[in-house]
Amino acid sequence: MANFTLSVNSKPRRVSVDPDTPLLWVLRDTLGLTGTKYGCGEGLCGACTVHVDGAAVRSCVVPVSSVARQKITTIEGLSAKGDHPVQRAWIEEDTPQCGYCQPGQIMCAASLLAFRRNPTDAEIDDAMSGNICRCGTYPRIRKAIHRAAAIAAGRKS
Amino acid sequence: MSRTPPGLDRRTFLRIGATAAGGLLVGTWRTSGQEPTAAAPGRALALGAFVEIEPDGTVFVYSPRPEVGSGIKTALAMLIAEELDVDWKTVRVRQPALLDPKYLDQFTGGSAGISDSWEPLRKAGAAARAVLVAAAAERWQVAAADLSTERGAVVHPASGRRLAYGELVGRASELKPPDNPTLKSSADFRIAEKPTPTVDLHDIVTGRITYGLDVRLPGLLHAVVERSPVLGGKVARFDAARALAVPGVRKVVELPADRFALKSGRPVMVANGVAVIATSTWAAMKGRKTLSVEWEEGPEASESSTALRARLEKLASAAPGKVVRNDGDVDAALSSAARTLEAVYEVPFVEAAPLEPVNCTALVKDGRCELWAPTQNPYSTRSFAGTALGLPEDSWKTAITVNMIRPGGGFGRRLDTDYAAEAAYLAAQVPGEPVQVMSTRRDELAHSLYRSNGYHRMRAGLDAGGTLVAWSHHLANCSRYRYQHGESPPWDSEIYQDDFPAGHVPNFRVAYSEARSAIPIGYYRSMAPGATNFVLECFLDEIARAAGKDPLAFRLALIGGGRELPYSNYGGPKIDTGRLRRVLELAAEKGDWGKAAPKGRARGIAGGFVFGSYSAAVAEVAIARDRSVRVHRLTSSVDCGRVVNPAGARKQIEGAVNDALNLALKLEITFEKGRVVQKNFTDYPPVRMRESPPRIEGFLVESDKAPTGLGEIPVPPAVSAIANAVSALTGKRVRKLPIRLG
Repeated sequence: MANFTLSVNSKPRRVSVDPDTPLLWVLRDTLGLTGTKYGCGEGLCGACTVHVDGAAVRSCVVPVSSVARQKITTIEGLSAKGDHPVQRAWIEEDTPQCGYCQPGQIMCAASLLAFRRNPTDAEIDDAMSGNICRCGTYPRIRKAIHRAAAIAAGRKS
Repeated sequence: MSRTPPGLDRRTFLRIGATAAGGLLVGTWRTSGQEPTAAAPGRALALGAFVEIEPDGTVFVYSPRPEVGSGIKTALAMLIAEELDVDWKTVRVRQPALLDPKYLDQFTGGSAGISDSWEPLRKAGAAARAVLVAAAAERWQVAAADLSTERGAVVHPASGRRLAYGELVGRASELKPPDNPTLKSSADFRIAEKPTPTVDLHDIVTGRITYGLDVRLPGLLHAVVERSPVLGGKVARFDAARALAVPGVRKVVELPADRFALKSGRPVMVANGVAVIATSTWAAMKGRKTLSVEWEEGPEASESSTALRARLEKLASAAPGKVVRNDGDVDAALSSAARTLEAVYEVPFVEAAPLEPVNCTALVKDGRCELWAPTQNPYSTRSFAGTALGLPEDSWKTAITVNMIRPGGGFGRRLDTDYAAEAAYLAAQVPGEPVQVMSTRRDELAHSLYRSNGYHRMRAGLDAGGTLVAWSHHLANCSRYRYQHGESPPWDSEIYQDDFPAGHVPNFRVAYSEARSAIPIGYYRSMAPGATNFVLECFLDEIARAAGKDPLAFRLALIGGGRELPYSNYGGPKIDTGRLRRVLELAAEKGDWGKAAPKGRARGIAGGFVFGSYSAAVAEVAIARDRSVRVHRLTSSVDCGRVVNPAGARKQIEGAVNDALNLALKLEITFEKGRVVQKNFTDYPPVRMRESPPRIEGFLVESDKAPTGLGEIPVPPAVSAIANAVSALTGKRVRKLPIRLG
């Protein structure tokens, strides 16, 4: 066991865990932040996507010891009121079905839009193809990302 | 086969359901909460099982069936709210926390959620409305017939008086509701049949929904299981010393799965193993890695897909085990036909792979068991847990409580409830402490129940004019009903003998031979039709091409004007091939069938009757540089009668099309040395965004017929249309799934 003071959703969180514990399980089991999901355990499906210093990472394959000094953001901390442009766009496009993959999809999309304000379909496909949606909501995710870009640019209210 | 899919507790459940339905509006007419209690001031009052209204007018509607992503929670609530006559914006939709007969049916499967609930839930809403009207009539001393309702209020048009439901609910909750309330005419619908966004969107996009793995209880323990790598294998011995030394590991126990079976003989767990129970998921996983287990592999260690295929081939080449349908004289017609065709079609095992792997949480204490189960089937959740605990069957309903937890997808995997049996058994090893048992993705693929395989030997005869006069279909495969040890014959879960073109070919035979195997057989969205429609619709396509005819024109000529015919399998009792014709025509029109495809692409068409509904598809495909199939456009048409939520229906079509790509192009489970070969999403890869068709278009046939299902319906014809498009493009018939181009 080792002690870490993590920065999670802009708050310091002190945890005492095995240093090789994947960040996913620290978030879910230790901190009770269950919005970040388990899907494959090997970085293949994106359900566990969180931001580390703003970049989308697969928290199921990141040992907690490697992110102890970085800023971690989870779906719970993406916005104070759940009104991040990506979250708004997801609602407006009525995107989710079972919804399980969507926190990971949203975190991945938010990271994409932070780097590319107005991505093309091809760029969206490239950025999002690491996130599996078993319900097949891909057409709506694609549309929602374009919509989120427009919301962020103030083109849609 | 019954209208409902063969859930294990289905018959038991139907009895409960019938009793509850009779008593619905009387026996369950009481204040909300788990126990009947007197109304407390300011508290929501129940009007039947499905409606609660707070004095401030807030309306709660209980949508009874598990939401696995098909939108059922929204659609069923719309039906209740419609008849209750409230403003949809004021409605808060809840799902019952517990399995309870007052909710009639808390099962999701077989695309039957809407069709089975369409009338009972509308009646529940209408009965609640009727007592509110009666309460107002009493207060105003007027006849109920002189009153009407208007978005959450009772009004008396003659005097202009008006009372909000919230002001009437106290008295209304004491009144006896009518047994047979009047239902609205659909012309008056304001909520039902209008496109309505899914409820819970905000909770989903903020990560607030509690899925199975998100259940958190005080003192919760986490368990993972090292299961026998070989089908039917057992633990010879194991050493837990190192695992027990991992901080957080509490207990290591054997999981003797093969000791527990239903009375029918059906095992309630899939594989024997050794479980590690710990204070965190990671500790359990780490402990598991250090386990040393010696397996007794048993006779199934020689099972393989290659060996099984050889058995199927032999069976399909010999006289059939069972002739399931036999019209005319197929052999005579084949021998006198001007032209005959023969082909073998093959489909693989597939695993449903919901993104949230199967899991369940259980607490066993003082002879009682409480389960938190993400499931499509709470009834078999209870019976499987009861069996794993060794409790007498007559105690299950009182000793076992099932909390209904939202699953992260189902696709049929959550119709089986092996996870509930595992959770109950392991929780009993640490009485008084709740245990959450989870499968990793690797566990889920390796130790699941798989949609069955199939080896189909097809023969057809054409007369001199190119008309189809003889059809012979012989399927050899492993049977789900055999695995489930149901009373139904093994072929009934595998081949639907009345599927088109049955009834439209004078000499028509469907035969079945069963291959025995220890491979657990379960479900995958669209079930048997998801495998057999590919065979029927692709063979028809090749017959049409051989006859020199357009595949659509060939089908339409076979159908003629269409007929209503008996249909003995799930989705019956009738099939109307005129409705099949209509969906084929609609998909053809919208999908540009008959027009030239863009350069380098080709189109394919297919149709089908699936579980009482009709669907057709036109696929437009190309071959990418890496020889993979790219579906550029998929046009799907559906006739499922009335559509309760057109917005939800379109979402289901989009999802179903992507799942069709999974079956057509991606997914296959194989076995070697008694083991599943596929490990994770690398070698069992569901469709990803870059593979999803850029154009998916869904079209619903306008209909005034009672609603039938939708969630699974578009899948089978979309698979077949993709295969037919690939055949058209390459000039080489696709006869095996998933499609692999050499």
